[in-house]
Amino acid sequence: MSEPFSVLDKRIRFTRLILFYLRKGREEARSGCIVGGLTLERALSLTWIKVKVESTIGKYPKRSFTSLHNNFQERVQNLKQETFYLLYDLKIKRAIIINQAKLLNREIFSTSTITVVETMASERLGEVISMKEEVIKNACSIAMKAHKLPEKQLYLVEKNRGSSDVIFSFPGSWTISDWFSRSPFGEKMIDPHPPQFASLRSIGNDQVATVNEAFLTRFQAILPQLQSEVVKAVADRKQIVFTGHSSAGPIAVLMTVWFLENWENFIKSDPSTSRMPPICVTFGSPLVGDFIINHALRRESWSHYFIHFVMRYDIVPRVLLAPLSSLEPELKTILDFLNPKCTIHIQEPTREASALYVTVMRNASSVASHAACHLMGNTNKLSDTLLSFIELSPYRPFGTYVFCTGDRELVVMKNPDAVLQILFYSSQLSSEVEGPEIALRSVKDHFNYQSELQNLETKGVAHFDNLEGLPLSSNVGAAGLGLVLNNLGLSTRARLCLCAAGELEKQKRRNQDKINKKKTDIEKGLLALEGYKTRCEAGRVSYYDALKLSKDTDDFNANVRRLELAGIFDEIMEMLKRYELPDEFEGHREWINIGTRYRRIVEPLDIANYYRHLKNEDTGPYMKRGRPKRYRYTQRWLEYALKISAGSSGESCFWARIEDLCLRTINMGLFEDVKEEILSLEKQVEKWVQNRELGDDIFFEDSTFVKWWKKLPQQHRSGSCISKFINN
Amino acid sequence: MQVGNSISMIITGHCLGGSVASLFTLCLLKSINQPGTKRPLCITFGAPLIGDKGLQQAISQNLMWNSDFLHVAASQDLVPRFFISPYNPNAMEIDSQIGIYKPFGIFLLCSKYGCSSLEDPEAVSEVLVAMDLEIARNKPPNEQWHMFDYGAVVKRLMSTISFKGISQLSEMIECPRQAGIVLQLQAIGLNRRQQSGDSNPLIAKLEKCEEAFVSKRKMGFDPSKKLNKRKEDMAKLEWYKKVSKSEDKGYYDSYKNRGSKKDLHVVTFKKSLTNYWKEMVAEVERMPQKEEASFRTRWLYGGTNYRRMVEPLDIADYYKENGKKDYKANGRSEHYIKLEKWLEEAGKPLSSQVITRKQNVSASLTEDSCFWAHVEEALIQCELLRNGQEEESTRKKLIEFEEYVMEQIKEYAVSPEIFLGGSSFMQWWKDYEQIVGTSYKSQLTDFMKSRLYQQYH
Repeated sequence: MSEPFSVLDKRIRFTRLILFYLRKGREEARSGCIVGGLTLERALSLTWIKVKVESTIGKYPKRSFTSLHNNFQERVQNLKQETFYLLYDLKIKRAIIINQAKLLNREIFSTSTITVVETMASERLGEVISMKEEVIKNACSIAMKAHKLPEKQLYLVEKNRGSSDVIFSFPGSWTISDWFSRSPFGEKMIDPHPPQFASLRSIGNDQVATVNEAFLTRFQAILPQLQSEVVKAVADRKQIVFTGHSSAGPIAVLMTVWFLENWENFIKSDPSTSRMPPICVTFGSPLVGDFIINHALRRESWSHYFIHFVMRYDIVPRVLLAPLSSLEPELKTILDFLNPKCTIHIQEPTREASALYVTVMRNASSVASHAACHLMGNTNKLSDTLLSFIELSPYRPFGTYVFCTGDRELVVMKNPDAVLQILFYSSQLSSEVEGPEIALRSVKDHFNYQSELQNLETKGVAHFDNLEGLPLSSNVGAAGLGLVLNNLGLSTRARLCLCAAGELEKQKRRNQDKINKKKTDIEKGLLALEGYKTRCEAGRVSYYDALKLSKDTDDFNANVRRLELAGIFDEIMEMLKRYELPDEFEGHREWINIGTRYRRIVEPLDIANYYRHLKNEDTGPYMKRGRPKRYRYTQRWLEYALKISAGSSGESCFWARIEDLCLRTINMGLFEDVKEEILSLEKQVEKWVQNRELGDDIFFEDSTFVKWWKKLPQQHRSGSCISKFINN
Repeated sequence: MQVGNSISMIITGHCLGGSVASLFTLCLLKSINQPGTKRPLCITFGAPLIGDKGLQQAISQNLMWNSDFLHVAASQDLVPRFFISPYNPNAMEIDSQIGIYKPFGIFLLCSKYGCSSLEDPEAVSEVLVAMDLEIARNKPPNEQWHMFDYGAVVKRLMSTISFKGISQLSEMIECPRQAGIVLQLQAIGLNRRQQSGDSNPLIAKLEKCEEAFVSKRKMGFDPSKKLNKRKEDMAKLEWYKKVSKSEDKGYYDSYKNRGSKKDLHVVTFKKSLTNYWKEMVAEVERMPQKEEASFRTRWLYGGTNYRRMVEPLDIADYYKENGKKDYKANGRSEHYIKLEKWLEEAGKPLSSQVITRKQNVSASLTEDSCFWAHVEEALIQCELLRNGQEEESTRKKLIEFEEYVMEQIKEYAVSPEIFLGGSSFMQWWKDYEQIVGTSYKSQLTDFMKSRLYQQYH
């Protein structure tokens, strides 16, 4: 790489080179192309490129910088130099940063090579979202075609002989009840014990997603008919594409989620099936469900299979942000107007479009501002107080959004918080005069996807991975990303919201880093407690009973260890509860394992401590009132990961159930009352011990469990499935 | 005043009516007690300021309260600025340029360009004053007062939601915070560039305000954060108690005599625990009633445990100084009193059944955290008697003490640790036995003489 600059010791030539790049940079910045050599100031103000540092000055390890901006700032602070040059070789797509002061001393102190991973215009949409443009265009035309299906046909399958794609699309629906099943927003919580959509939840928090009821109902009507076709396509090793325009978009989305949830089964039943992930492409789709959907899809790493195209002014993707009562009559007229099958000719609904536009914008503004308060870490409770007066739409975006500016650019955005803000801000008006025209356009644009995407290959693609350093000013002469943001109509206020969304995402990653660093502490604590358990077992005492008695220093130390670990895990659970960790966190296998190991070894100690301090007397039984989140959450992690029913991995609460039964059976006359419970517990214990999920130290002669069990009626004991473990 | 908990209430008023609305809301907030009650919202339009720094602080201390007030003020309206205007001599403290009146709650400032909302009361003061100066610059000083039409303001706000409005930034600003402030000022017509080309000094001021505001929020006390650390301290204290017991004197006397290194360690846990709970109690006190009540029940168990465990150590410290008397009246820290009061208010816990207490008395702590103060007082009385002073009243006090102890024993409310050989209580018993002689008989002396206490556990 250093080759082109081997001449750099010749100062004059170098200066000329810089001037050349400077000029070139200015020219190309306008067209959105990457810039050449610039002073730091210019570079910061004009360009926006994504770079990967290959070799770096001094102590920087090899790593990926998401933006040159940060890179520059860090360097400046580090080297205390004022001016740097960024040289970019267009041919080999590499850039070099040179410290000018050193250069003038005729020795290049150090250079670092930067490979430009992403520049604006040099990329095509297909590369950014890893999907062929051809597929997108096909999907779009088939999605539009589906609208014209006869009434009874609920879906359209398109197989091209030559290609490996099978595209499933669905007709839209144009009656209000197919959009809003009820007031105010027509949402419905997914059945928490479902045959479908078990993945659409937040695991630890045990919060299930909310989706639009009307769309869900329609999905359920279509699925039985479609199922076999999909299975066949998979068996034929086809690439599955689900697509839909308008209200068919949500159907495509739900189909894709259904597919992803059953994918493993397809593969299991026929190992030769395609392992190609499905694709879901929607065009002008309304929102589908609440923020849990995004959370769940990201956790499962499915989020990137969903691509949503949205025209800058299209009203439909925003319509569910407003309550039904505020827009019913207008929406009805607009839907009639949009319905491609409607035979009556309707005049352009100028008045209704304006009313609808204003209502939707007003409500979108409330939703966006409320969300922005959260993004900006605002602790102000006013927005919460207001919620008792105004109900806000629960719907939130997910997946990858591609906004069409209507000009030459496409803006790709993956951060769902940012997408929500753009949904509102991008259709703001710049002046009152625009009003009626834009309102009409907001309706008509809904059918312009096909023409907009016709020359997809030629469009510039702006890909916003790094939101914190966006150019904030929206002055007319902006270039590069600034220009794209202008074309999308994002004001400075909008950009501030995007920055905040980026900052929040970064903060979540930082939180995760912080937690990952605690792994060694956790490991140390767990080893110490496992050692404690072994030592207790050597003395034929269960560590549960040992801690409950707390006779020795060893017991005391174990208790302190327990509390130290509780501190770490409580912090994690608190963050999960507030959604302050990346959505992927609960999907990490490693953390699920750590959590399970932690729960199995430490929870008995918590129970011992609970009953030692008689907390059951003023708080209630451990299982009902005292069980900390750190165990409830980690148990759910495992049960979800293993796809087993809730509560089936309750081995770590074994002792709490024993303590509870001990208290309830003080008077043996009550045995019949608890018989059922004892029988089921014994059955579980047998299974847990056989699977080594529960240690056999519970069967030691003097353990609380054995002492209690031996007091049960003889008749019961002799027939019990666990009598074989207990030395009679 | 009766507030139903399902009703969402908005209290509003214009001009002086707004001030009344604010006062009324304050009244109302005080009476909202039931958990689950919806919070009222007070919206004023062009109301003059009503209070000084004291009121501002009282309200700002509580996040919930502060955000129950929304004050809408138009930049053209003199009224909301009247009591903070530098041109109003009545609004200034005597002999200084400092205004008496301070804003509280959230302000929505509106101008013909747009609107911005401010939360930090410092920033609100700055902006109100700046608005006043700005308007005064452009208008004759003797302008007539007129009723300002807020209906039009609200109408304009509603209609401009879908406009980008003035939220454009022409200058090049890197820092999002600064950009945000410039936008806010633009919206209320205050982003006037100085003649010299310097940046507006107001921006720097507001930036500072915001920084201070944010860091203040960050420093806020979060009780759950350090709870686990404090639980560790409690576990260590508990261990100390256990070790002391094995030395036959109980942790109270161990700490009182401070013979070994471990006693010195205790001083550090005790300090961090005390600091934590003092802060916690203060935090709970600052909350309005509703939050306070739910907060209390959540932390009461830990607090009671702490009080029973740690207060004896404070008593030991107190009586260590020669000649100190009457801990309960003179030495008891406020936070113990509060914690005890809350427990009483929460009602008797389930554990009040004597049977279960009897079973577990050896593991539990003495319920009355001031038990040792009573013992110390009794020791002092014995000392007095031996020196032949104040016969009558002293004896009476000792008999009261006897009764008190017997009561506690019957209820299984004291820990058996008091009967350990080296404990201050046994010390007292030895003194007392000598003083009253063998002929004296009472429930307690019987209990002690017959060594029934050996079976008390």
